[in-house]
Amino acid sequence: MKLEMGYIHIKDIRFSEESRIQDGILYVSEKAVRETALEDEKLKSVSFDIARPGASVRITPVKDVIEPRVKVEGRGGIFPGIISKTDTVGEGKTYALKGMAVVTAGKIVGFQEGVIDMTGPGAEYTPFSKTLNLVMVCGAQEGIEPHEYEKAVRLAGFRVAVYIGELARTLTPDETTVYETCGLKEGIEKYPELPRVAYVQMLQSQGLLHDTYVYGVDAKRIVPTILSPTEIMDGAIVSGNCVSACDKNPTYVHLNNPVVHDLFEQHGKTLNFVCQIITNENVYLADKQRSSDWTAKLCRMLDLDGVIVSQEGFGNPDTDLIMNCKKIEAEGIKTVIITDEYAGRDGKSQSLADADTAADAVITGGNANQVVILPKLDKVIGTLDYITKIAGASEQTLHEDGSLEVELQVITGATNETGFNKLSAR
Amino acid sequence: MAQNNFEIITNNPLVLGKLRETHYVIYHDISYEEILKEVRDRIHEGHRLLSHPLSGSVKPKETPYKSIIITTGKGMEPDIESLELIENAIEACGKFAFKADLYGAGVYKDFQLIDWTLLKSALESAEI
Repeated sequence: MKLEMGYIHIKDIRFSEESRIQDGILYVSEKAVRETALEDEKLKSVSFDIARPGASVRITPVKDVIEPRVKVEGRGGIFPGIISKTDTVGEGKTYALKGMAVVTAGKIVGFQEGVIDMTGPGAEYTPFSKTLNLVMVCGAQEGIEPHEYEKAVRLAGFRVAVYIGELARTLTPDETTVYETCGLKEGIEKYPELPRVAYVQMLQSQGLLHDTYVYGVDAKRIVPTILSPTEIMDGAIVSGNCVSACDKNPTYVHLNNPVVHDLFEQHGKTLNFVCQIITNENVYLADKQRSSDWTAKLCRMLDLDGVIVSQEGFGNPDTDLIMNCKKIEAEGIKTVIITDEYAGRDGKSQSLADADTAADAVITGGNANQVVILPKLDKVIGTLDYITKIAGASEQTLHEDGSLEVELQVITGATNETGFNKLSAR
Repeated sequence: MAQNNFEIITNNPLVLGKLRETHYVIYHDISYEEILKEVRDRIHEGHRLLSHPLSGSVKPKETPYKSIIITTGKGMEPDIESLELIENAIEACGKFAFKADLYGAGVYKDFQLIDWTLLKSALESAEI
């Protein structure tokens, strides 16, 4: 499968009468994006704001971060099975707006997290302080159930991102990169000397605010399967989870998964990037057993030499991670696992809730219990009502000077387990 | 697996209300950690874990609620895998500061709802 990605660099976002992209500036008609967001009658209100890197702005509670894209050639459209009709994506030509994101925020439940600071020490810990953010704070109609509210916010974000992506359809990209995968036989013939490597991506799949969707299918209901790694670049996988925001993958991370991009970088040079295998992280133990069995089986049937496994979340996904690692290693296939740590505030506690000697190559995204002080910022987009009550915060969270003492858990993307952020350890 | 082959141990009143008529629910008004210990004691009696004790990303001691599915039937010996999982879960509780008493009444309802959706996802698998 061959996908040409065209990158259009966005230098600023401005509100305007008419939506368009001109000379790298995204002009957004607030009226148009409001109408797009409020197509869903479950949403009562939406307010839009622009947060620029370096500005004294805190965004919270963040639900998702999305990069606008448009499919200009090839099958299907962006977010297949969700916004576009179901069709296999990942080939043809797609444009992405780089340097910007659509960020969704909304109350949904009374304990909230997901903080993006655009300046100060907090900004150092989130990758989304470096993007120009078009933030949409969504309010629900009275009497709407939390799961309906969550779905309405999730889909409104995708609609707005697709609306903005469409503005780039006729532009000429600033940069172009081609990603191409081989069929199995073709890959063996083309790269006979190179190790066959796949990426096993574990998807959070447990319940309200803990879900992921693949082509519109709730990931709880999938069995492990194979993707061409280019499919994710068209939005085949989207986020529906944000609890303990440090190690959850917003849709932006799925679209730009660094494991996929780095494996493509090495494809044909040091390894043969065979495919992406997706699996889930269910609550029911028999599901964990089945999914890890099947993941290992797929790895074996593909005659892989090595896999990289990325986790999403902490706690019970540690069990899935170790099951995957043990079973794949037992097939004689080398694994490298990517996780993060809950090692206590002093970093001295056991990092994972499960472990095994087979997990002898481990990459960490950082310690989510690490404490940081976030100074008071001039402007809040969303609300601080919940910040004293979010994961990793404590009763001393809000200091007299308005600064916040929190654990990294609350910061969107801080300890991302695909390596999307920059924390790690040796 | 038929419904009568498992039981639910919970401290979540929402779960009790939703399932008491149709499922075998053991409800105790005790803490999250005490629920884990209650389950551990039952595993020592020979029950097996069917759902993961650390389900969800709301951390222990942050949410007060936890619902866990175990087998109704008992084996002759404690199941080692179940024991490891529950002991690791109890140990993991030690890493988190207690703040489950900081919230307003409405927030407890939200915690109950999240615990219920996590359990529901497991029940959907258990009842196939």
